[in-house]
Amino acid sequence: MAAPLRRTRRYVMLLVLLGGFGIVLFRLVTLQVLQAAELTVKADRQHQKTVSLEGARGTIVDRNGKVLAMNLEVPSVFGVPTDVDSPAKTARVLSPVLHVRANELEQKLRQDRRFVWLARKLDPEQGRWFERTRVEGIGVVMEGRRFYPKGPLLSHLLGFSGMDGQGLEGIERRYDTELQGEKRVTVLQRDAKGRTVFSKGQQTEQAPAPGHRLVLTVDEVIQYIVEKELDNAVVRAQAKSGTMIVLEPYSGALLALAVSPRFDPNVLSNLSPDRWRNRALTDAYEPGSTMKAILAAAAIEERVMKPDTLVFGEQGSMAIASTVIHDHEKLGWLTFAQVIQKSSNIGAAKAGIALGDQRLYQYLQAFGFGARTEIDLPGEATGLLKNPKAWGRRTVASVSMGQEVGVTPMQMVTAIAAIANGGQLMKPYVVSEIRDAQDEVMRQILPHVRRRVISPETARAVTRILEGVVTDGTGGKAAISGFRVAGKTGTAQKIDPRTGTYSDSKFVSSFVGYVPADNPRLAMIVVIDEPQGEAWGGAVAAPVFNRVGEQALSYLGVSSPEPVKLALAAGGS
Amino acid sequence: MRLLAMCVGLCLVFLFVWERVDMVRVGYQVERLKQEKTILERERDQLRVKVSALSAPDRIAKVATERLGMAPPQRGQVIVVQAESLAVPPIQGAPVELRVAKHEPFDVRR
Repeated sequence: MAAPLRRTRRYVMLLVLLGGFGIVLFRLVTLQVLQAAELTVKADRQHQKTVSLEGARGTIVDRNGKVLAMNLEVPSVFGVPTDVDSPAKTARVLSPVLHVRANELEQKLRQDRRFVWLARKLDPEQGRWFERTRVEGIGVVMEGRRFYPKGPLLSHLLGFSGMDGQGLEGIERRYDTELQGEKRVTVLQRDAKGRTVFSKGQQTEQAPAPGHRLVLTVDEVIQYIVEKELDNAVVRAQAKSGTMIVLEPYSGALLALAVSPRFDPNVLSNLSPDRWRNRALTDAYEPGSTMKAILAAAAIEERVMKPDTLVFGEQGSMAIASTVIHDHEKLGWLTFAQVIQKSSNIGAAKAGIALGDQRLYQYLQAFGFGARTEIDLPGEATGLLKNPKAWGRRTVASVSMGQEVGVTPMQMVTAIAAIANGGQLMKPYVVSEIRDAQDEVMRQILPHVRRRVISPETARAVTRILEGVVTDGTGGKAAISGFRVAGKTGTAQKIDPRTGTYSDSKFVSSFVGYVPADNPRLAMIVVIDEPQGEAWGGAVAAPVFNRVGEQALSYLGVSSPEPVKLALAAGGS
Repeated sequence: MRLLAMCVGLCLVFLFVWERVDMVRVGYQVERLKQEKTILERERDQLRVKVSALSAPDRIAKVATERLGMAPPQRGQVIVVQAESLAVPPIQGAPVELRVAKHEPFDVRR
């Protein structure tokens, strides 16, 4: 009896074991063979993490390596509404940290979504709170944010970049491709806690390369001097705006560019595009008498005039093409040099007529008017220079005294720099070097001569005439003690949009020139739009030239050619 | 002989397991150091921005005039003196190598 029972038990046990193994085997085949592909994908999804890596946007520095724009990793806060138990309570806690209204946050946290941004690109200090405190359903990711540590300094030239790091204005826009960091998508292995782990044969993930570093030709200190003096002048004159550019005449390198009023690219909210428009490039104006410097160069080069050629001033008024041209004072016989120095419209008109429509037009074109200077900045206007075929009977006279022609401040300073450097029109430029993350020079931008416009002899003759503008003419307030200054004043009436005629109350006052006249280091233009009260270029713009020139020459260590007289302390005897 | 073979086999198994475990340990260490490096780099960049903001010319001018009672030098108070031998010769042409534009030169007499 006992033996058959034992045998039966053995069979039952064997069956149970075989059944158990059979089930395990079946499950194994199901997992490893039948569902293999599907489960592999699921497993990979759990322990692999796809991340997009982006290198930081490149830094922008001035010519001495001072940082002007730089990216920082800052916290952005997001919410997972499905994981938030009490949206109202969470919103109340986060509101003072994020500086966002509680009801706004609550609204976002009540949304039926898996992900919602609560605040992006916060200050680094705000992120510290999240290092100390954990809030259920709230997470922090680091994103690149653009910082302009100097605030409004050089804002119109630097421009700014958008929330997603794309350049929108100024250098940020023009050199966006170079500034963008490397973008890469990579797959990382992670463990149950979400930590990244290495598997055999895997390479260490290199951080994506940051964007290139731009080295500008601009000097931070000269820029500061320019902005300070221009702001003061605009406030003093109660003007609408002001523009100033400083160029190195021999190379075309831009040392400073300022537009007043300025803006802070770190705080762009509620600012109209009008505030960040780079008027030095985008706004054409009638230059008025500053154009007479260019006229003088053309007339002397073409031997139509010599500095000592006598011109009759018609006692202050001259009829031309059924209109009358006036001078600001009754002038008789003048030398051509005096025509420029006293800014006689009649004398300039006569020189223009002697030169002729075609030659005047060709010289204006040669000096770069009516075309972009091709500076490496976006949004440059061509100005307005009509073809002589479209000129009226008075146009040659008008253009000679800076009317019926539209120029940008950049065109005008580039043209005056050509006279300053002996007759060569340079291409102005802002970026001198592009360097990679290892500080290797990727591209170097060299000065570029566009063409010779006048001979060195003509340039010297015009320089002497323009020096006379400062010593004996309308530009006395531009004079810098110890240095020879060459320049020209301009006071142009603006067109009244209501009447379509020249306004008697709205002017553009300007001064354009260079210093030291015999060996120029700085070519500068000052344009003040709609100054109130006294509007003469010599009274409003020339003093800015003087103050900037004086400080900039001192900063650059340019010594005065005049002998230094040292006042020695008298010894006690 | 058989015992020796078993010992060698076991040692190889342990070596393999130790290598795998150590690789994971070092992997975590590398990851931690990378995070530390990122935090330090972030801090360095923040300090760089701070230095740049603090050395802004308008801030220095403000501190110098308002806090330290300094004033910009008046006309004639700054005299740049250059020794004869060190004086920069006047620039006769462009100070650096110049490239001539490839596009057509503008001939005003055409």
